[in-house]
Amino acid sequence: MPKITIDGKTVECRENIPVLRAALEAGFEVPHYCYHPGLSVVASCRLCLMQMKMPHPKTKELDWAPKLFPSCQTPVKDGMEVKFDSQLVHNNTNHVMEYYLINHPLDCPVCDKAGECYLQDYTEDYGPATSRMVEEKNKNPKKDIGSQTLLYQDRCVLCTRCVRFTQEVAGTSELTVINRGNRGEIDVFPGEPLENPLQANVVDICPVGALLDKNFLFQQRVWLLKPTKSVSPADARGSTVYIDVNDDRVWRIRPRFNEKVNEWWISDESRFSWQHVHSPDRLNIPMIREESALRPTRWPVVQEQIRAQLNTVASDGGSRVAIVLSPMMSCEEAWLLASFVRQSAPQATFVIGYVPVEGTDQTFPKGFVISAEKCPNRRGVETVIEQAGGPSASWDEFLTKAGGGEYRFALVTGGYPKAWIDSTLADTLRKIETVVLHDVWASALDDHLWLQLPSATWVEREGSFMNADGLVQPFDRALKPLDGVVGDGQFYYELAGHQGLFRSRKVRELMAAELPTFGEVFVPREEPEYAH
Amino acid sequence: MSWNAIDRKTVPAEEMGPGISEATKEKIRSFFPRYPSKQACMLPALHIAQDELGYVSLQAMRDIAQVLELPPAAVMDVVSFYTHFWTHPRGEKMLMLCRSLTCELLGSEKLRARIEEKLGIGDHETTPDGKFSFMTEECLAACDHGPCLMVNEKMHKCVSVEDVDRILDDPASDRLDIPRSDTYDAPPKA
Ligand code: SF4
Ligand code: FES
Ligand code: FES
Repeated sequence: MPKITIDGKTVECRENIPVLRAALEAGFEVPHYCYHPGLSVVASCRLCLMQMKMPHPKTKELDWAPKLFPSCQTPVKDGMEVKFDSQLVHNNTNHVMEYYLINHPLDCPVCDKAGECYLQDYTEDYGPATSRMVEEKNKNPKKDIGSQTLLYQDRCVLCTRCVRFTQEVAGTSELTVINRGNRGEIDVFPGEPLENPLQANVVDICPVGALLDKNFLFQQRVWLLKPTKSVSPADARGSTVYIDVNDDRVWRIRPRFNEKVNEWWISDESRFSWQHVHSPDRLNIPMIREESALRPTRWPVVQEQIRAQLNTVASDGGSRVAIVLSPMMSCEEAWLLASFVRQSAPQATFVIGYVPVEGTDQTFPKGFVISAEKCPNRRGVETVIEQAGGPSASWDEFLTKAGGGEYRFALVTGGYPKAWIDSTLADTLRKIETVVLHDVWASALDDHLWLQLPSATWVEREGSFMNADGLVQPFDRALKPLDGVVGDGQFYYELAGHQGLFRSRKVRELMAAELPTFGEVFVPREEPEYAH
Repeated sequence: MSWNAIDRKTVPAEEMGPGISEATKEKIRSFFPRYPSKQACMLPALHIAQDELGYVSLQAMRDIAQVLELPPAAVMDVVSFYTHFWTHPRGEKMLMLCRSLTCELLGSEKLRARIEEKLGIGDHETTPDGKFSFMTEECLAACDHGPCLMVNEKMHKCVSVEDVDRILDDPASDRLDIPRSDTYDAPPKA
């Protein structure tokens, strides 16, 4: 590992990274706009300039070179010495900041980025408090450039991150710089809007409030939001995300750096995968069939009833019992349910639930993948089923057998972001005498259900998902479950006979005794913020 | 302050303007062998298109993008970078007045005032009868004979205010023996 000296302090850094990245990773503060580790280097914003020791052309002795160098474009080299904390460097930063502010409007009070804007931060740290300009500012237009994004051109600092993102990561090249010099603008070709499955990432990487997410526009001040570390349930990749909540509501989802999966990006599917969480159509009361109608009941009653029912139908070991474990469940929930059922019904069939698939995997130029499998935990649930031993079935096998009347009792879990039981599926499941459905939505099967249990969305749960590559990643709870709903983990925890609060970490420790895979979860490395 | 945003997602068909002909596309393609990549043919392609249409319409940008296998935004990038390319129709005669230092010192401002007064149009505008368009340009590379005014491809040097009237009235003010646009064609085979 190369060692370099920054401001007199020797730091060890990773090979082949720019000095800027090494400095940020070592905890130095270096202003920068155009550099982003996921994009090509253009060194155009001139904020990250540094002093560097070079061999003197005459004496060949190492000395501070008179000119400044872009630290984002200078790779680290063992033994190099650089300086960010010097008058020369500060003068540069101050002047560059003054330039950036010439045309920038003072509209922070109405700007969504305020609070996480790097023009605000750098102005506070390096910029002038007042403007020396008496000339009128250039007033650039606001542009509607795509279904998810707006461009407030007057706030743009022309770092071209967004342009490089569409060219290099999305590979769609919708954005470009038009005009020249201080007339420069970001634009799309008229009639060819910014539309790609990764488009909203440009909002995150924009260091200022120029690119805005239409869904988040004027919704919240960012300093009110509380971020929770989570994993996207939108597809089998398991992109890591932050869920930003305030007032018991999710307001947005942002990417969380993950060197093994999604790096700095997420798909729009992941970003907008929370909308159903606040749907007024969600189930929120456990219901039990009494005479011919479903009537509200209480959670403890539900547990007693399931235990009693299972004891009756599984008196022969449970050969006519099916337990459908949805790929939307966390590993912990699946394991708790499976181990509970195996105790009383060793012959019960475990079924891996319906796996929604859309099209084929989409791979983007720099390797970002959107999986065709639109659920987060098929592999995790499969691993649990395999370990549990005993009879198991695929979803299709289960449907065939259910249609043939082979099951007397089934507990079916759902949890998909939209209602998924259509009338054909309902007709098949109706062939099962007693059905418990643990799901988010009402369905065509409701008239046949014995128990209808409202389930919590992943935002309201904690646990872990195993992604398509077998990586187990934990996610935290961002919100408490909807009133009336008990978190799925808590419910299965109690059903399995445990006391107290369900904590996924504790359950993983229990699981690890049988399933070492779950002993260790993957937590991505912490990255510097890179001005976004 | 208005919060209204300009719609860039859609474009009315009439704003797209005319496209370039098959012959023009063929001519652009004939330049491919001279460049390391198709993208590198951008500037000749734009000149060729502007020669055909008089300007580079949105449709022409799209057509060029297709020929060069690029996103149309990349073509718009270059078109908007150079003042030389027009994105709306130009008049028959294009007046290009130098606005750089030498010419400015030698009186180009007076020429500009005279042109604007006589034609009633400003920078990058066209007279209603479609006869003249006017624009200012950076150094036209004839500083030793400033102030300079180009009419289409013909350079007028040491222009005085009186000359402006004469040049504007002279139907042959843009006549050239060898049109410059030929100079970026392949040289005729000997
Ligand atoms: S819109 Fe934002 S990301 Fe794009 S160039 Fe401007 S400041 Fe940079
Ligand atoms: S010049 Fe280095 S970050 Fe922009
Ligand atoms: S300054 Fe006018 S031609 Fe050079």
